[in-house]
Amino acid sequence: MTDFDKVSRRDFLTISGKAGLATLMASAVGVNFGIVQVAEAAVGKGNVTPFRFAILTDAHLFSMPVHKFDAQMADAVDKVMSMKPLPDFVVYCGDIAQNGKDDQLRKGMKILSKLTMPVHFIPGEHDWYLDMGAAWRGHFGSPTWSFDHKGVHFIGMNSILVRDFWTAAGMSAEERMGVMEMLESPIAGPWGVREEQLDWLKKDVKKLAPDTPVVVFTHSPLWDYYPRWNFQTEDAPEIRQILSKFERVMAFHGHVHQTVYNKIGNLSSVGTLSTSWPWPYPDVKLPYPDMQMYRSDPAIFTDGDGAQHIDLESNFSGVMQYDPFGDMLTPAMKNGFKI
Amino acid sequence: MKPNIKNVVMGLVTPVTLFGLLAINPALAREPYTKAELADQEKALLAVVDHGRDLWHGSKASMSTNGLACGNCHPDAAASNPQTFPKFQADLGRVIPIRDMVNWCIMVPQGGQPLDANSEDMVAMEAYAFYMYRGEKIQPGLATKQTAPVVVKSGPGFPKKGSGIGYDK
Repeated sequence: MTDFDKVSRRDFLTISGKAGLATLMASAVGVNFGIVQVAEAAVGKGNVTPFRFAILTDAHLFSMPVHKFDAQMADAVDKVMSMKPLPDFVVYCGDIAQNGKDDQLRKGMKILSKLTMPVHFIPGEHDWYLDMGAAWRGHFGSPTWSFDHKGVHFIGMNSILVRDFWTAAGMSAEERMGVMEMLESPIAGPWGVREEQLDWLKKDVKKLAPDTPVVVFTHSPLWDYYPRWNFQTEDAPEIRQILSKFERVMAFHGHVHQTVYNKIGNLSSVGTLSTSWPWPYPDVKLPYPDMQMYRSDPAIFTDGDGAQHIDLESNFSGVMQYDPFGDMLTPAMKNGFKI
Repeated sequence: MKPNIKNVVMGLVTPVTLFGLLAINPALAREPYTKAELADQEKALLAVVDHGRDLWHGSKASMSTNGLACGNCHPDAAASNPQTFPKFQADLGRVIPIRDMVNWCIMVPQGGQPLDANSEDMVAMEAYAFYMYRGEKIQPGLATKQTAPVVVKSGPGFPKKGSGIGYDK
């Protein structure tokens, strides 16, 4: 039995090999659409018990019965299940679906059901804008959550919220989704977590001591990487301000489909490999250029994709290890790197 | 060797004809285009670029059987590098123009039907890609970069200035 006994109701909905059951139970008890409250548990730098967690993200599943992305997501699941030791849990960093359809989410849940450990979910824009997250919340609960595990405080937030661009334009749900599907669409504007989640975050961390190890997950980066592709979160400065009281914070994000690293003040930010396709790098100077993966071969569909895991030590140092399908890591990343 | 009568005739006729045309048709040695004419040409180009952008983002169903469009891997035409074509393409084992690369991407990652190499759609695809790389140095054969073509700093809905945060080593 893990410390997950103490975590929130949200974890009740993790699929961990029981996707069908979780869905049934979520339907039966009614899904909490609100923000999940923090579980109480002892956290602090001195209390960290070393452990591993893994991150999967950005499957972009289509509604077609058979699609190469299904197999690629399944390969990433197999990668996680072959890890030794197994991760204590997996965080899914968004974009299970390509265009927000329930069958796409269900297909993802089925593939992920091979994971025997708990899975925690945050949404991406592709999951959300067909029905404003209704199906996603129905399956996975609140997109805003926190829990404590082996002395570390974990936080997940929905960072893909945009201002309403569709109502005045008279757009249908499908048109709204179509706008959000296009990475470089100028219509939607910048993403953010917005006021309600910022208020929640303030309350969530209020009682935590500055030496508390904190790990935060969002779909988009918590720094200004390349706003045109929403490689940013508009209110990241406010998030970093709220988290500035901690000695160290680790942040992980999906969306960028590539290896990337940055450090801003007390916050280390790490981008993650998707299981679908790699995005090119924007033409901006990377703060840590050694963390730019080699260019993938488009003839090999799985090149540039993969999974990743993190080993946390007792002093809250972490080793980030990308687990790509192909050989595309620079020497600086090949054997993991400290974050 | 007997002279080819057709070649001889064409050799004489063509210069004479061209000279005659130049003499009687001032349009072939005209004054510089006016601003209005240039604006019309730019407008015509941008219409084709717009069509290319739409195709790039999935407007033609036959270009894909798996839902993927060029823009999935190449947002803003990133990493397409049209200015480096023609170049040797390792997967194909020969030097190819950009349109062959476009059709390869349509057929392989997207599983779609290739465009006619001389079609308006292909011209539009090329126009969009080259337009996004305008100002980039032409370097045929250069190994590609995996970055976006030009830094598009702003657009409708985006802040005109970045936050200035990000590079705190």
